[in-house]
Amino acid sequence: MSPPIFRLASLLFCVGTGALAGLAWRTEIPGAFSGALVWFALDSWRALRLTGWLQRLRKDPSAPPPRLDRLRGEVAERIQRLLRKQAREAAEHENRLRNLQLALQALPNGVVILDEAGRIEWCNRAAREHFGLDEQRDVAQFVTHLLRSPALVQSLAAQDFDEAVTLESPFSTVARPQRLEVRFFPYGQGRLLMLSRDITVIEQAEAMRRDFVANVSHEIRTPLTVLAGFVETLQTLPLGEEERRDFLERMARQAARMKNLVDDLLTLSRIEGGSPPDTREWTPVRTLLQRLDADGRALSAHVSGPDAPRHELVFEGLGTEAEIAGSASELQSALFNLVNNAIRYTPPGGRIVVGWALLPDGGARFSVRDSGPGIAPEHLPRLTERFYRIDADRSRGGTGLGLAIVKHVAQRHDAALAIDSAPGQGACFSLSFPASRIREGKPGNSATDA
Amino acid sequence: MTEKHLSSQFDSDLNGVSSQLMEMGGLVETQIQRAIAALANFSTALAEEVVETEEKVDAMEVAIDRALTSVVARRQPAARDLRLLLAISKITTNLERTGDEAHKIAWRVKSIVASGEARKMPIGDLRVASDLAAGLIHRALDAFARLDVAAAMSILKEDDLIDCEFKGFTRKLVTYMMEDPRTISSSLDLLFIAKAVERIGDHAKNVAEFIIYIVNGTDVRHSSLTRIESLVR
Repeated sequence: MSPPIFRLASLLFCVGTGALAGLAWRTEIPGAFSGALVWFALDSWRALRLTGWLQRLRKDPSAPPPRLDRLRGEVAERIQRLLRKQAREAAEHENRLRNLQLALQALPNGVVILDEAGRIEWCNRAAREHFGLDEQRDVAQFVTHLLRSPALVQSLAAQDFDEAVTLESPFSTVARPQRLEVRFFPYGQGRLLMLSRDITVIEQAEAMRRDFVANVSHEIRTPLTVLAGFVETLQTLPLGEEERRDFLERMARQAARMKNLVDDLLTLSRIEGGSPPDTREWTPVRTLLQRLDADGRALSAHVSGPDAPRHELVFEGLGTEAEIAGSASELQSALFNLVNNAIRYTPPGGRIVVGWALLPDGGARFSVRDSGPGIAPEHLPRLTERFYRIDADRSRGGTGLGLAIVKHVAQRHDAALAIDSAPGQGACFSLSFPASRIREGKPGNSATDA
Repeated sequence: MTEKHLSSQFDSDLNGVSSQLMEMGGLVETQIQRAIAALANFSTALAEEVVETEEKVDAMEVAIDRALTSVVARRQPAARDLRLLLAISKITTNLERTGDEAHKIAWRVKSIVASGEARKMPIGDLRVASDLAAGLIHRALDAFARLDVAAAMSILKEDDLIDCEFKGFTRKLVTYMMEDPRTISSSLDLLFIAKAVERIGDHAKNVAEFIIYIVNGTDVRHSSLTRIESLVR
């Protein structure tokens, strides 16, 4: 029986019972009427219990429904089922929202959600760190009241969101600048998403790149200008044999300088881009040192000139049988760059000690110690930057790339480059190789290359 | 027109004036930052920018005063709304003067650069003080946006730091001038810059006092710090 019919039946039953009871005293009509009244009272009482339960639900969502007739029982059950479903969905949504917020919190970029009027609705941790916003207190605050950069205010006022706005963080000082890039993304109806990211490091890298490009063009243009000048002189002026030879010699020097620069740049780009050196290739250290000895003496003669005294080049540990793993040509280039620097920066007659020593931990250290003028501490951290020069006039020759090459070769061979120097006390450049790259060679092996 | 509509219209009027004030604050803050950067790098280009912004700040001051007059005339505000509008009027004046100080700094920087004595001058201490002053103005404007009395109180307390820096710096400049009379003109320029920085700190303090006035309704100008603390509580 469906509930409405049951309801009708129960009404008819009450009316009928009343009428039958009334029949005994011949008062069928009042009897039927009072039967209907009883039914109505019963019905109202159940309805009241149902509404009472609904009231209680508001405070305690898990309150059990009262025992009711079929119709109301079903209503109560359906309401309960609906409520349970709703609660489940709400919890699910809440959970999803929380996860989404956690994801936004974890973003390294600042996220601020703005409502239609430009008031802050929500912001993540990065935004708080970027702008000093307070997540609790600054909700419903106009964003332009706290971020007052004119560029940002203008972009918001003009609703012009194509360009990113760069501004100083409120925590930025002259000593420690912090630059932020802010972008707006409109979404929904007039709402805005504001993203910010810290571009301090990027701007610094950009400045370094600009310096690098300026230096490269300077280094390349100088010898070219000199060459062009001599060529023009040779073309236009009648010169004596003596002058001619002098000019050609100078031109050759500039050409050689440019060739060195291009060679070094190519070496550097090859080292940077190339695959790591083969660790199965073992080179006898003695071979490296012997070639260094020969090259160093030749360079010393060239740099000092024919009349000046040569540098005193001392090699320690030449008798070593050790072998080193890695690219022989790269190692040779790195070691020669160190010796090259020592010779160029030490006055003729100075003493240069090239040392090779095994370390107690099984590694080994290659060092070049000179008796030159030494290096002031402020230059030390920047020495391995490309084209960084201690002497602004660039009078020492060399390409300015030597130590950059050494640094890269060292990195590729797991070696550490250490520079130890103070003004007036000479300088010591050393490369320390780990034990994994050093092995004691067999006496027969080392003789083959030498 | 319903009552609710009226008040929300009033609200948006008040928010509009506040926004204008904050925009002006932003301009002045940039001016100070640029002036400090111009001082740190002895850059005439940055100093020029400060001078150019000056006109905009002045225009904003006039615009805000006009907006205030219009709101007062149309809405006849009372109580906190009236205090807010009065305070905005006063803060505008203070901000405009802060901009003037930044302008002065920029102008003096140009004069130092022109003298060619720039590198010799002791600007390290001045940078600390100017960063402090810029920070105070920033925090004062933040405190206005949030109507944050606690932050306003901390600004009142910190203004003394700048005053101390100023005294120390003056002493240092005197020794410079005694050692090398050729630096006197540049030292005087620096002294004026230091004074401007100190004034910026004072303006930040004034702004902070008006925030207390808006929120608590007590006028705390020319009162000692301990008295203000007891009034605020």
